[in-house]
Amino acid sequence: MAEISATERPADLLDRYRLNAGLSHGDLWLRYFELGGMDDALELEAILCGALRPSAHDREVIAHALNERFVELGGNHPVPYSESDAGRRREERER
Amino acid sequence: MSRRGAELTTAKDRFGEFAITVGFENARAVLAIRGEVDRVNAPELGAILDAVIERHRSVVLDLAELGFMNGWGLGVLAARASRFRRAGGTLTIRSPSAVVLRLLDITGVAEVVLLENSDPPRRHLGAEQSSEIAEALLGSEPYQLPPHAGKITAIPADTDVVDGALRLVVALARATVGGADGASVSLRRHGHLATVAASDQTIADMDASQYATGEGPCVDASVNGRWFHAESLDTETRWPAFTPRAQALGINAILSSPLLVEDRPVGAINIYSRTAMAFAPKDQELASVFAAEASLILASAGVDVTDEQLSSRRNEALATRRVIAQAEGVIMERAGVEADDAYSMLCDYSRTSNRPFRERAEDVVASTQRLRLGAESEVRQSHCG
Repeated sequence: MAEISATERPADLLDRYRLNAGLSHGDLWLRYFELGGMDDALELEAILCGALRPSAHDREVIAHALNERFVELGGNHPVPYSESDAGRRREERER
Repeated sequence: MSRRGAELTTAKDRFGEFAITVGFENARAVLAIRGEVDRVNAPELGAILDAVIERHRSVVLDLAELGFMNGWGLGVLAARASRFRRAGGTLTIRSPSAVVLRLLDITGVAEVVLLENSDPPRRHLGAEQSSEIAEALLGSEPYQLPPHAGKITAIPADTDVVDGALRLVVALARATVGGADGASVSLRRHGHLATVAASDQTIADMDASQYATGEGPCVDASVNGRWFHAESLDTETRWPAFTPRAQALGINAILSSPLLVEDRPVGAINIYSRTAMAFAPKDQELASVFAAEASLILASAGVDVTDEQLSSRRNEALATRRVIAQAEGVIMERAGVEADDAYSMLCDYSRTSNRPFRERAEDVVASTQRLRLGAESEVRQSHCG
């Protein structure tokens, strides 16, 4: 299995995406809640910083909340929707 | 160590450790404060003042032995002075130093308390003291805004007291940030940005230009909650409508740092310079310290971040959530799938069409309306036929 460095762990990436999107934790939580997210703000923060592992569904909701923000800023869905999606994208980058 | 730093140490030695002595004098409670009031002991001062305010209608704060009070102490004092006045009590401040008197004056606290002087002022406020205030505000450690500052002293202060405290921050930022020709604080009130403190009219006009064009570093910092630095307006491309207006007023560099309450941006502190490239990294650091101080004043004053804008945003989020749940139900029924799969399908629709999730969900819900109307019309036709 390929080793992922500490700075490239998927959970870390989520919070880095949040920072790049210029969203506070509160802003992202409201967007996540709006899209049907069920976790509270503290749980979301724990997921973003890697202390909690999200369910596949939660991961999808968080990714979409971030991606909608990136689309508003002129981007194109940069956040992977699942961990396997993230792995696939990493492999593509490495090739 | 710089000479000013040495003087500060001497001052600390002269006034000693922080302590509060409570005594009584002609039916008045007298609280004598010794040492320096800072972020560590300001809550203690607040708690003691709260306890005294509950029991006594006439309280004297004797500041003769006070070394210095930073934004924390000032915030505590401003909130209690305001509360005292509302309760119909009398708060007297005795023997403030010239520096503290000036702080009380600028922040408007002096207007809601009685001032009593037993000694002539110990110092006069000059350029040297301004630097001393800045150093005292900076403290010896890197400044960090506490995560729940709003909950420590969430007693609402009067708007004019808060504005006064912000004017003080502006004056200090203007005096201490290298290259600064002016500074201002913008706050979102009733859903709109407004300048609550500005060092002069040109600076107020600069802010107004940003509100009018809806763009600029101040607007962006207030909305996005991070700092924006326009090093040189000659090469600036981010704000095409605002930049020429700023240049017409002779401004060439701008540094805007966000003011955050409970992690939400509520405004910005803006520092302007006539000289391009005027702000060095250390000036940015200093600006962020002033932003933290101003944020703290707002948090201490219990500035309401659940304003109408936020509450309407929450209602909007709830409405979207409802539509998404309905659309999920429709897809589950039509495609015979589980809720999570229905959600993933909606997500895919949104991604591939590059349209917001809410719009796609609304489409799905609306499609059932069309089906229902079609079915009703079929029923009517079969009845008539």
